[in-house]
Amino acid sequence: MHDLVLKGVSKSFGNTVAVEPIDLTFGKGQLTALLGPSGCGKTTLLRMLAGLEEPTIGQITLGGEDITFKRAHKRKFGMVFQSFALFPHYTVRENVAYSLTISGVAKDIAFAKADELLNTVQLGGFGDRRIGQLSGGQRQRVAIARALAQEPKVFLLDEPMSALDAKLREEMQVELRMLQQSLGITTIVVTHDQREAMTMADKIVVMSNGRVEQVAPPQEIYHKPANAFVADFIGKTNFFDGVFENGKVQIGQTILDCDAGFIEGSDIRVAIRPEQIYIDTAPDVNRISADVTFVRDLGPVQEYHLNSEIGPLIVEYAAGEDLANKPIMGQKTTVRLPPDALQVFPREPRP
Amino acid sequence: MRIGSMIYMWLSALVLAMPIFVVCAAALNSGRSMFFPPREPTLARFKEFFISEPIWTEALMNSIIVAFGAASLAVLMAWPIAYMLWSSGSKLSKILAGLGSMPFAVPPIVFGVGLGFFWAFTGGLGEMWAGIISHAVLLMALPIVTISIGLQSIDRSHLNAAATMGATDQVAFRTVVLPQTIPYSISGFFFVLVLSFNEFIVIFFVSASSYATVTLQIFNSLRNGYTPTMAVAAITFLSVSIIVFAAVARWGDLPRLMGADPTRK
Amino acid sequence: MNTASHDPRALLRKTAMTVLTTFIIVLCVAPFLLVLAISFGRKVEGAAWVWDFTFANYQRFFVGTLWPDEVTFLYLQQLSYSFYFALIASIFAVLTALPFTLTLSKLSRNAQAAWLVFIMSSLSLSEVFIVMGWDILLSNNSGLPKLFRETGLTQWLKDVGWFQTLRDWGLANPRNVKFKTSDFATVLTMSYLVWPYAVILLYPALSRLDPSLSEAARTMGAGRWTITRTVTLPSIRLPLLGTTLLLFVFLLGTYVAVTVFAAPHKQTVAVAIYSNVRGSNLNAPFGSAQAIMLLISASFCLYLGHLLNKKAEAP
Repeated sequence: MHDLVLKGVSKSFGNTVAVEPIDLTFGKGQLTALLGPSGCGKTTLLRMLAGLEEPTIGQITLGGEDITFKRAHKRKFGMVFQSFALFPHYTVRENVAYSLTISGVAKDIAFAKADELLNTVQLGGFGDRRIGQLSGGQRQRVAIARALAQEPKVFLLDEPMSALDAKLREEMQVELRMLQQSLGITTIVVTHDQREAMTMADKIVVMSNGRVEQVAPPQEIYHKPANAFVADFIGKTNFFDGVFENGKVQIGQTILDCDAGFIEGSDIRVAIRPEQIYIDTAPDVNRISADVTFVRDLGPVQEYHLNSEIGPLIVEYAAGEDLANKPIMGQKTTVRLPPDALQVFPREPRP
Repeated sequence: MRIGSMIYMWLSALVLAMPIFVVCAAALNSGRSMFFPPREPTLARFKEFFISEPIWTEALMNSIIVAFGAASLAVLMAWPIAYMLWSSGSKLSKILAGLGSMPFAVPPIVFGVGLGFFWAFTGGLGEMWAGIISHAVLLMALPIVTISIGLQSIDRSHLNAAATMGATDQVAFRTVVLPQTIPYSISGFFFVLVLSFNEFIVIFFVSASSYATVTLQIFNSLRNGYTPTMAVAAITFLSVSIIVFAAVARWGDLPRLMGADPTRK
Repeated sequence: MNTASHDPRALLRKTAMTVLTTFIIVLCVAPFLLVLAISFGRKVEGAAWVWDFTFANYQRFFVGTLWPDEVTFLYLQQLSYSFYFALIASIFAVLTALPFTLTLSKLSRNAQAAWLVFIMSSLSLSEVFIVMGWDILLSNNSGLPKLFRETGLTQWLKDVGWFQTLRDWGLANPRNVKFKTSDFATVLTMSYLVWPYAVILLYPALSRLDPSLSEAARTMGAGRWTITRTVTLPSIRLPLLGTTLLLFVFLLGTYVAVTVFAAPHKQTVAVAIYSNVRGSNLNAPFGSAQAIMLLISASFCLYLGHLLNKKAEAP
C-alpha cells in the first residue's frame, strides 16, 4: 500500500495554531479535496505534505516510510501553485523538462518527455513558446505537465483553478479529473470552491479554523453533513434555532417532527436544504404557514423566498418539477418540511 | 493629455539639452578657445583626444580601467549583501547595506577627503587599484539597489515550485534566482560604470596627481579654461551614457528600476 | 544534510562574508573616522600637520582664531552660502521638475523608457561638462549675452528701462547683460545639475499615484487645477519634501559650479575644504573640521528625509 498517512500532524506559527492535530489517510490513486474557507489551514496542510513546511508535531508517512522531515526537493511531490509559478526565463518545454534536466537526464530525452506531456495536456507544438505568450488556461496546463514530468508519487494542487475564469474553470475541472483517473495518481487539491471539490474529488476533507470538520465522499458531505458548519458551507441551507422537547423540534411556538434523537431540552440548530421543502396544501405533518416575499426564476431552478412562522426560508424547485399552482409574490401559502429532511445539530457557540 | 503639459515637457527637454548641445558644437572649434557657434569647424579635436595627445589618450585609458574595475568590484560586493538582505533580512545584512550606501549619500568631497587620508596611511595613495576600490565603495549603493529590486521581483512560489521538482537550494539558486536577476546585476554594473566615468572629486583626492582620468584631467585644467578637446571628452562620455541606458531600457526594465509600479503597464 | 560534503562550502561562505564585512566596515567607516580624528589635529607652520586633541579648528570655524578678542563669522558665512545656494537651487529644481514628471508618468511605458534614457544620460553627465556648457552659454563674449546684443534685445531692454533693473540685480554691466559671476548663474547651474535627479526621485511616487483617485475627483466635479490642489499635491507632499532634502544634501557638496559662477566672496564650504586639504592653504586639520561640519549638516538632513520617507510609507 502506498497510502499517504498523517498522524497527529499539527502546525503552529508562533502562538497561532494554523492546523490543529489531524489524522488523515489519502488513499492511493484517489483524488482528495481539502475544502474550506480562506484561512482554514488547508494550504498550510498542503505545504506540509509537499515538504515546504515542517509540522510542529506529528508524523507523515508514505507507504510506511516516515517522510515528516524529508525536505521538498527530496520528496519530489509534483505541485501546481496558485500562481502556477512558471519560470518566465524558460520556454514552455524547458519549464516542463525542468525536474528532469536538473536531475541530470540528457537534454534530448528530457525534451522528448516534455513534448509527450505537452501532448497529454493538449499543448502539443507549444514547446518553444515563452510563458508570457500563453493564456491563463494554457499556463495551467503547462503547470500540470511540469508537475507530472517527474512522475511523482503524490500530485498536489493549490487552488489550481482560481486564476481562471468561470467557464474555463468548469472545463478544466473535468479535464483534470479525467487525467488524474487515467494516470491513477494520488492527488490532493486545495480549494475553497465546493462545486470544484464535488466535481473532482473521491473524498472531501472539509476544514475550518485549522480543524477537520468532516471527511467523506461528496454525496455524503452534501446529504449527511456532520455539523452545522458543513451544512452551511456546502450548498444552500435554511437554518432555524430551537430546543429539543419530547422527541420533537420546537422552534418558537412551532413544533416539528424529526428523525433525530437528542437529550431533552438541549439547544439545537435545524438545517433543511431549499430543494427539500415543498410548497403545497396536501394535509401532512410539519406544515407551516408562510408569505411569499420574493420569486425568481433562474432558468434551471425557481427560487421562492418566504417569510414563515419559524422565520425566513428559501425553497427551490428544479425546472420540470411540477408545481401545481405557482405562488406569486405577496401570496399566503403553506410549506411542508418532511421530517427526514430535517438535519438536527447541537447548537454550539460559534467562535 | 493636455497640450500645455506636453509643451512644458518638451521645453524642459530643450533647456536640458541646451548646454549639452553647446558643448558638443564647441568640439568643432579649430582654435584653442571655446566659441559658440564654433569657428572654422573641424574634426581635428577628435583626433587629438583619441589618438595624438598622450595626455588625453592616457586619461581615457585610465578612465576605462577605473570604471570597469570599479563596476566589477561594486557588483561583486553588492551581490552577497543584496542576497543576504533578501534571503534572510538579517541584522548584519541591513547594517552592511546601510554602511555600503553611506558614501554615496553624503557629499562626495567629505568621503574624498577621508579616502585621501585613508590611502595615505595604508599606502594606496596615487595607486590605480586604490582608485578602483574607492570608486567601487562610493558607488556600491547602486548595484545593491538594482540587485535588491531584481531579487524582490522573484516570486517566492517559483522557489517552492523548484523545490517540489527536486531542486536543492544550490540548483534553485542557479536555475531560478540567478537567471532572473542577471539583467538587474548588469544594470547595476552599468550605472557604476557611467557614474565612475563622470566622477572626479573622489578620484582627485585618492589619485594624488599621480594619474588622471578624463574628467579629472578636465577638472585639473579648469584654471586654464576650457578647450575644445575637453568638449570631445564630453561628447564621448555622453555617447557612452546614452548607449548604456538605452541598452538597459532595451533589455531590462528601466521604468521598473527607476521605481515605477511594476503591475501597471 | 551530509555534513562532510557541506562543511567546506559553509566554511568558504563564512570566510567570504567575514572578508566582505571587514572590507566594507574599513572602507565605508574608516575614512570618516580619519576625517574626524584629523579635525582635532594641529597645523604646523612650514610642515604639514600633527596629531593632537584640540578644539581650535572648531573654534576657528564658529568664531575665528582670535576669539575672544576678535570675532569673525567668515567660515559660518561660507556654510550659510552652501545652504543658501543649495536651498534655492533644490527648491527650484523640484518645482520645475514636478510638472514634467507628472506628465512623464502618464505616458506609455515605452515612451517613459525613452525619456528616462535621456534623463539618465544627462544625470550621469559630469559636473565639469555641465559647467562647461553653461560657461559657454553665459560667458560675456559668447552664448546668451552675445545673443542678447546681436538680436537687439539688449537695446530693447535699455529702451524700456528694464536694463537698469538688471544692473541693480548685478546681472548687467554698462554695455550688456552679464551672468558671470552672479548668484543667478550659480543657482541656475546647480538646479540644472540636480534637475534629472529630481525627476528620478519624484518618478516612483508619481508613477504609483492611483489614477482612479483623480478620476473619482473628476466625477465629483473637480476641475484640472482643483484635482492637482486637492488630490495630487496632498498625496505627494512627503515625497516632494523628501526629494528637496536629498537634492539639498547633494548640492551641499557642489564644487565646480560654485568656483566658476559664484562671486569670490560667496564661496562655499566645499570650496574651502578643497583649498585647505589639497589647495593653496594646506591646512588639513581645519579642512577636516569643515568637512565634519558639512557632514553633520548633511547627515541631519538625510535623517530628516529618512523620517519623512518612513512617514510616507506608513499606511
